[in-house]
Parts: sequence; structure tokens; C-alpha cells
Amino acid sequence: MDAITVSNLTKDFGDVRALDGVDLSVEEGEVFGFLGPNGAGKSTTIDVLLDFVRPTSGDVRVLGMDARSDSMAIRERVGVLPDGYHVYDRLTGRQHVAFAVRSKGTGEDPTDLLERVGIAEAADRPAGGYSKGMKQRLVLAMALVGEPELLILDEPSTGLDPNGAREMREIIRGEVERGATVFFSSHVLEQVEAICDRVAILDEGRIVTVDTIDGLRTGAGATTELAITVDAVPDGAADALPAVPGIEDVSVDGRLVTVRMGEGSKSQVLHELERTGATVVDFATRETSLEELFAAYTEDDDETDGPDSAEVEATTAVNAADVTADESADPVEVGR
Amino acid sequence: MSFTAVARKDFSDARRSRSLWALSGLFVLFTLLMTYLYTVIPELEGGDAAELSAIGLLGFIAAPATLFVTLAAIVVCYKAIAGESESGSGKLLLSLPHSRFDVLAGKVLGRWLVLVVPVVGGLLVALGAVFALGIGFPAGTLGVAGFDLPAWPVVYAGFVALTALFALVYVSLVVGISATTASTSKAAALALGAWVVFELLWDAVPVGLVFVANGFAIPANLAALPNWVAFVSLLSPSVAYSHAATGLLTDGTTGAVPFYLLGWFAVLILAVWVVVPATVGYLRYRNADL
Repeated sequence: MDAITVSNLTKDFGDVRALDGVDLSVEEGEVFGFLGPNGAGKSTTIDVLLDFVRPTSGDVRVLGMDARSDSMAIRERVGVLPDGYHVYDRLTGRQHVAFAVRSKGTGEDPTDLLERVGIAEAADRPAGGYSKGMKQRLVLAMALVGEPELLILDEPSTGLDPNGAREMREIIRGEVERGATVFFSSHVLEQVEAICDRVAILDEGRIVTVDTIDGLRTGAGATTELAITVDAVPDGAADALPAVPGIEDVSVDGRLVTVRMGEGSKSQVLHELERTGATVVDFATRETSLEELFAAYTEDDDETDGPDSAEVEATTAVNAADVTADESADPVEVGR
Repeated sequence: MSFTAVARKDFSDARRSRSLWALSGLFVLFTLLMTYLYTVIPELEGGDAAELSAIGLLGFIAAPATLFVTLAAIVVCYKAIAGESESGSGKLLLSLPHSRFDVLAGKVLGRWLVLVVPVVGGLLVALGAVFALGIGFPAGTLGVAGFDLPAWPVVYAGFVALTALFALVYVSLVVGISATTASTSKAAALALGAWVVFELLWDAVPVGLVFVANGFAIPANLAALPNWVAFVSLLSPSVAYSHAATGLLTDGTTGAVPFYLLGWFAVLILAVWVVVPATVGYLRYRNADL
């Protein structure tokens, strides 16, 4: 049985078609990423799964049950981190979780859950005073109540710092090990690829593709760009570098060497460069962003809106000294 | 049924806000002021202070209490569901296994408690003031198991219960209105509109109907209006409440009155008022996209 089955789902808001014939199936036990730019219809899809919003047409089943008629039974067994929620400002974190425990009748200790998400020390403060990241952790704690079979997380990393996002991923991994299925939406590729078994890309209310992240990258011909600043570019560098496997293009501009590559080792590029006599001063990578990857999947459309999206890039600067000092580790791991 | 979890959440939320305590303070002040006026006014008018009684005080309190209860209900309830939908906390609420019925029922119960605590508290303080000021109690008795017990505690408790029921009517009305929209300003406007119609303009409705029924002319004999005129006026919650309170406090009616003008029927009207607006609100909320 699939954890989620969506067949030919269409939703109109007035004369705006938010979802247009969406088909989706999420297998039990997998981590499924639901990608797409803001406004693509991700939250509307999730709202339909939870019966917040009623479909115009189509069949939606969660844990084998009808999303409309069995919504209560579904929500007994599902943990949810919704999008665009608001906490109860005057209630404490503990009261929020206690409310979820009472609502599900599971009898857990709210403190344990708050400890798991790392905000136990703020348990007795009103949640209205929490930061966005703490609120996100609080609502995650509410979602974890009752060891749900399925976690539905809408943009779970919103408001979290990198450390918080990592902890979020660890919690999600823990839940998967326990046997839970995780369905989560995101517009940030880095979070999705670190954890997802499969992803679906949604664009303007339609599923564009469903694949693994690797399949997605390969299919779209995705590349990584390395921007390497050196003390001086040696003569042989421009000739030596293209020999490194995976490199597609090398350009030199003053002390800046820009390398575009598909699959391949980035540290090997740096080593090759240093072997020709250059000293790496600074170094940054730019992955093909979701927007670009996404654009690759929607290029067939005659609309070419969002040309600026390539400028919105995920850039990771790494101190050159760290890169050269640690040869065993892939220096751009944080960027992946 | 999970509506108790919702009600409990709602009530603890209110308990942490200033509104519950402000309302309680206000209503206590209100009852103390009314008690004071009740003892002073007969003297000013040259009446006999010896006729003062706790039950008479309740009759004196009933009419202005409707003003307090209705306005407080609007303040306490207009955001009940519209506010959750507007802010997005409703998504948190409905991510948990609560049906929309549970949410509505829990809201009505929770907000009603917020309103009833000040009302009951205020009426108990008034009772304390009655003792403190040496105001008498009526002499009537009730025969219970062979003992003659004073009747006033029963009447007093009945009045508290009736006022609590009236509070429930307005909570149901305003929460019901709040369930029909995801905009708190629209909910506030609708609630105030309903208040204006039932509290300020309702007197004009039976008069207008008489005017129409009489062929768009003022009837010659205004003293002998048909019974249905009184019935129509009784359809306003606060008129029904006042009517039921009068029936309770003055024990007995005068002359032959049709059953639909008796005190118990006014209580029935209040009961219908509890059910209808909440049901209408629920039907809208059940089918709404959040």
C-alpha cells in the first residue's frame, strides 16, 4: 500500500487553477521531496491531503484512506508541520505539545518531545516570544507526537539556521529508521537532495517529473561551477585542467579561474591547479540551483519567465587553507 | 469527541490573557454598583427600604446585565474561529485529529467558560454584598422531603443558570458568525450588526409587523395588540432572557396567557438560539477551504 496516492487531482480557486491533474504516489517508508517554486501548488496539494482544502476533482488517498471522508482517522496517524501556521502566542511550548498529546490521546511527556527538537529550555515560555526557528521546532515536536506513520512537512527548514536544518534532517532520518514515511516540500534543493529517496517537481499546478535527485541532475545535464582565485595563473594551467575527468569548460580571467564540471572530484581540480604551481587563495562553488534545474525541466514551455533565477545562487565559500590542509575530505561537502 | 481538548486549549489561552480578568473585574464592579444603586434609589424616591430583597436586586440587575453579557460575548468570541483561520493557527489545530465540529463545539464551550466565570463570580459577589448590606430575603419556602426550606437560594441559582444560558446564546451566535468567515474584521462587523438588530432595533420589528398587518396603518387600539406581537418581540434573545427572568423572580403570571408567552417558553426560545447560529456557522465552516 502506498502512503500517499494522488490521482488526477485538480483544484480551482475561483477561476484560478491551482492544481491541474496532479498524479503522485509516495511509497511506504520512503523520504519523498516535493519540489517547486513558490506558488507552484505544493502547499495546496498538502492542504488537500489534510482536508484543509477540498479538491475540485480527483482522488486523494492517505494511508489507504480517503482524504475527505476519513480525514480524522488520517490525522490520528499523521504528523504535520503545516505551512503558514501561527502558534498560540500566549500558550507555552509545553502547552502546545500537551495539547497535541491530548488531541491524539497518546500520553507522551511533552518535555521529551521538546528535548528531541532542542527547545526544552524554553518549554515554559509563551510561544509568541519564540524565534521563527524555535516555532518551527515547536511545531515539529507537535508533529512527532504519537510516532506517526506518515510525516507531512511543508517547508520544514523555514527559519532554521544551517545547524537547525541539519538537526531537522537528523530527526527526519531517525523517524525514517523507526519506519515512518516522510513527505516534505521545499524550494531549496540542498535540503531535499541530502535526504530524499525520490522527488517530484511541481510547476504551475502540474507534476513535471518524478525521479531520484541523481536522475534529476543527469536528466537535466546539471553542472557545478568552481570559482577559484589563485595568486597567479601558471601558463600550463588552462591546458592541464581540462584533463581532469568531468570538466566541461575552463575560463581564466586575471587571477580567477572558473571551471564548469558535471560529475567529478572538485578537490582533484584544486590539486591539479596547485600541481601546475598556483596557490589557491579563495574558492567557491555554485551548484546548479533548483531554479536552474527546474528551468531545465520546464524549458519546453514557451514562457521564459524567471530568467533572473540563475542569479539566485547557492554559493559556498571555503577557506583555501582548510581545503588544502584536509586532503581526504571533499572540501565542498557543505555545498552539496 | 475531542472538543474538550479544544475547549481546554482555548480556555487556558484566555486565562493567560488579560481579557478574562478584566471581564471578571468589570462584572464584579458592575454588580457592586448595581447593588449600591438598588439600595439608594428607593430612598431617593421616597420608597420603603424594607421592601428591598435579594430577589428584587436580581430583577434590577437583569436588564443591564444583558448589555454586559452581549458586548462581552462579542469581544470574547468574534475572533474564535475567524482569527484561527486568518492567522493560520487553525492549520495547527486541524493538523491534529479534530473534526471541524469538534473545533466549533470546543470554541463555544471554551469561550462560554470565559464568559460564565465573570458572570457567576459577579453574581456571587452580589450575594455577598446582599448579606453585608443586610438586604433581606423573601420569605417564600419550598417543601422538600417534609422540610420547609427557603425558596430564595433556588431562585437565585435559577437566575445564575438563566444568565449562563443567555451567555451561551450569545457565545453560540458570535462563534457561529466567526465560523462563517476567515476575516476577523468581517466577523466583528457581522457580530456588531447582529447586536444592533437584536438589542437596539428589535423593538421596532413587532411594531412594524403590526403596521403592515393592519394594512399599513397604525391600529386604533394600541392597548389591545394581538398576542403574536408579544411573541415576535420575545424572539430577541435578550427579550426572551428578561421575560424568563421576570417569570422566575416574580413567580407567577397574571391572567390567561398563551403558553408561548410563559417563562418556560422563553427558556425554550433561548435553547433554540443556542443551537441555530452555531449550526449555521458549522455548516459554512465544514465546507470551507482554510
